[in-house]
Amino acid sequence: MVLMGEQVPQTVGKPAKNKQKKQRQRNRPRNKRNRLEDNSLTTPETSTTDSASAMPGENSVRDAGAPEKTREQVMAEREAKKLAKQAKKQKTPNTAASPATTIITEVEQTTITTKLTTTTTTTAKEKLELPSVVTANKENNNITQQQTNVVQANLENGNDVEAAEKSRDQIKADREAKKAAKQAAKAGKASGVKVEAATQQLANLKVSDKTPAAIATAPSAPEAHEKKPALSKAERRAIQEAQRAAKAQGLTKKPQPGGKAPPTGKAPPAGKAPSAAATSPSKDPKRESASPTKTTTSSSPSKSPQATSHSECRVKLFNHLVCAKGDSLFINDPLVHPAIARLGVQYAKRTVVGSNARCIAFLHALRQVVQDFETPAKKEFGRSLDAAVKHHVDHLHKCRPLAVSVSNAYKQFKNQLTQLPTDTPETELKELLGHFIDTYIENQIGKAAQAISGFLQEKITDGDVILTFACSSLIQFICEEAKRRQVAFRVIVVDSRPGCEGQEMLRRLHATGIPCTYVLINAVGYVMAEATKVLLGAHALLANGYVMARTGTAQVALVANAHNVPVLVCCETHKFSERFQTDAIVYNELSDPNQLVRGEKCQLNNWAAKGKLMPLNLNYDITPPELVSAVVTEVAILPCTSVPVILRIKPDIGY
Amino acid sequence: MKEQPLKEVTQLIHAIKVGLVEGSYSITNKTLDIFKYIIMSKSWQNADALMQIVRAQCRILQAALPQETVTSNIARRILKLTREEFDLLQAKVQHFADDSQASLSLHKLVTQTSESNVSVDYSVPQKGLREALLDHLQEVETELETSSENICVQAEEHIHSSEIILTLGHSRSVENFLKRAIKKRQFLTIIVAECAPASRGHNLAASLAGEKNVEIIVIPDAAIFAMMSRVNKVIIGTHSVLANGGLRAACGAYTVALAAKHYSVPVIVLAPMYKLSPLHLCEQDAFNMVGCAEDVIPYDSIPAREAKVYSPMFDYVPPELVTLFISNTGGHAPSYVYRLLTELYHPEDLEI
Repeated sequence: MVLMGEQVPQTVGKPAKNKQKKQRQRNRPRNKRNRLEDNSLTTPETSTTDSASAMPGENSVRDAGAPEKTREQVMAEREAKKLAKQAKKQKTPNTAASPATTIITEVEQTTITTKLTTTTTTTAKEKLELPSVVTANKENNNITQQQTNVVQANLENGNDVEAAEKSRDQIKADREAKKAAKQAAKAGKASGVKVEAATQQLANLKVSDKTPAAIATAPSAPEAHEKKPALSKAERRAIQEAQRAAKAQGLTKKPQPGGKAPPTGKAPPAGKAPSAAATSPSKDPKRESASPTKTTTSSSPSKSPQATSHSECRVKLFNHLVCAKGDSLFINDPLVHPAIARLGVQYAKRTVVGSNARCIAFLHALRQVVQDFETPAKKEFGRSLDAAVKHHVDHLHKCRPLAVSVSNAYKQFKNQLTQLPTDTPETELKELLGHFIDTYIENQIGKAAQAISGFLQEKITDGDVILTFACSSLIQFICEEAKRRQVAFRVIVVDSRPGCEGQEMLRRLHATGIPCTYVLINAVGYVMAEATKVLLGAHALLANGYVMARTGTAQVALVANAHNVPVLVCCETHKFSERFQTDAIVYNELSDPNQLVRGEKCQLNNWAAKGKLMPLNLNYDITPPELVSAVVTEVAILPCTSVPVILRIKPDIGY
Repeated sequence: MKEQPLKEVTQLIHAIKVGLVEGSYSITNKTLDIFKYIIMSKSWQNADALMQIVRAQCRILQAALPQETVTSNIARRILKLTREEFDLLQAKVQHFADDSQASLSLHKLVTQTSESNVSVDYSVPQKGLREALLDHLQEVETELETSSENICVQAEEHIHSSEIILTLGHSRSVENFLKRAIKKRQFLTIIVAECAPASRGHNLAASLAGEKNVEIIVIPDAAIFAMMSRVNKVIIGTHSVLANGGLRAACGAYTVALAAKHYSVPVIVLAPMYKLSPLHLCEQDAFNMVGCAEDVIPYDSIPAREAKVYSPMFDYVPPELVTLFISNTGGHAPSYVYRLLTELYHPEDLEI
């Protein structure tokens, strides 16, 4: 579900060459949640039917509710609808309605609003649609305005009346709201040009007094999510996250009364905004603007104990490692491009994982940054873009420490920037950079994978038992290729808690029809006797020949070594790093320790309260070169110790 | 003639299978109670008859619970006891004044042939055997009761302050041992590998977290190698100790031991004497038990339909990966286990 984000760059990106498309598709399912999305392909359909049914309802609302509305409002609404229609035209058909996407789109929506003030007004206008849609459904079901008022009041009192008010129509209503929000986001993002045209039109309209009201209603969408009855825990958390983000931006937005104010990002006391909104004729804003303040108070206490425990209960050995966990990161920086902001969220939430996927997603986002980049007056294109990209990369680094593949790609990109010709027009330069990014993806990831697979096909023969650990897109590609060659082999997937990425690997291999065995990592000794080869993916290869990979890789290599099974590490050269490291503690990444807690009955529950008890969730470990038989790269099959050689000759290969 | 199990034996088997009796200590205790009951009963008239009954019941237990070696170990102890007491009484009767038989001189040891042992006829009824046996059994019982405490006492000898200790899963001996160490030494860091899928390590961590002056870190099994570079000592429990000094331990112990070997970290195994079994098992399949796979991967997930999923319970750890055994009688090197076994059990009882 959350995966959508990864798809978005594809839909938004330029029509790519066939090869690239294939490449992307191959990399696409890296995302764990993809499977969920595959299963729930029906959701977009239902949502579209909903929207269809909503349209007449909306019209009826306009008829019914017209007397209460001022002329200006109606005008504004019409404009909004026009925009929505435009947005719908541009909307790609395969947009599943998932809460996570709405989070992302909302987040990015806000970045848009803060970045381009003109867009702010338009998106805000569109949001005007939300309350109207909601009321439409309500009126269809003969719920009077007063009744809803009462419900809203209850909400404000902080009672948990959600169950009581969870009527069908409301569920529908919030679906509508979600959809509308997405459309708005789509419109804002996908059609930079068209939106601007629309704003030109809108400029004639006097919307200044309407805008605060509209903005105040903005949080209604996430607020509506809260009422949804059947939400899994994870979803609920995601929604809370979204609310927080929405709120944060709601606060920053409110001070702009005319919608034209510069995006200073200063947050006035939240109480002021509603009072300003109260002057506007419609009643909706008053209710909606009051509710966010309530949700702030309800969500913050649930969050704070966790946050404090995080800082207090730290494993001493890992004090030097920063645990990138600040929720404040998602409060948007006006200077961060929406594509990067979204990517940052995806990194932080681990919806985009694996160094290849991270690298591709980064490059796609980077291309968008380049496309949308406008050189400030009297500045050189290359230099100012360099500074802007650096800011974006810093933002990503704050969300999650950069993968080696990403920092390598960034290095190459920077290198490219310095070599740009100075006398060419900007559009051509942008095209040049876009082309560079495309070739980087194609050569460093796509062709490299094919070359590695080519090397390994000679090594996989009939009767082989391949043992692999966790999930690697490269290993998956190799196995699929071998299957295509009709080699009779089977795969043992070793997995470990808490990530359980191997299940995803198992699912993918299972889909291609390869017979699989699945064990957890402590049983690796049990199955190692059967294995004839161990194939491992890697996060990075360090200059001293150590392999940095998902925790557990070293253990698998160790056991394989004890059983005299050859260990082949598959790693493209774009993941080679110039860093030296001899153990996994000097530099590592820490994930959420709460992932180790298993369910309610687990003894670790509430571990922060139990003395000096600390779960530790390491991300990577380091496999010493003596445990690795060979590294398979697109250049050749090499011993680990040849990494520095490759690093030296690397600029000559690839492109 | 088919051997019939005693009512107590069937009850014990049921209790163990259902999970009412858990942990090798309580299983050993219960088995000992049964054999005590057999000795007290009037169903045997001479040593030979008693030994046959014990063997028969032991075989039944073994067949029903192949993975619980402690039951056979206790049976072997009883058999050895019977032989000893019988010999002693026999010696008193036949060579009253001659104590050359009782005390084994070097000359005797060298010249002694195996024939002389075989010639002993246990079917001769012997007065006072029952009383002597019950007396001796009392000693065994006390030894069993104090074994855990005796192991704990040695904690101070092996752990210094501010050590980083890694352990795996949840063993009661290890829990007591570490608690003792925490009391005596300051600033210990204990790393507990959770031991999925049962994640019994969480219980150990929660239990140890109540102590003061200690830092408990719970890690997933995958991080054992990564953390091992900082570990001073590995202390694990075991299910049983094999004749060659190898271990049959909780799944994951092999990886721990290998990683420890890689970083030259000493591996200390806590094993009370009753866990020593005269078995030679070097094959994984021969002695392993495969548990429920539901915890590994949910049955209703799509890939689980076709994939083979294993959840083995034990790991074989070869003796070269073990540094030291700590039993209730003191520390032993893995190479010394064979000698302990010959002292503990009679050579003829190795095969029951």
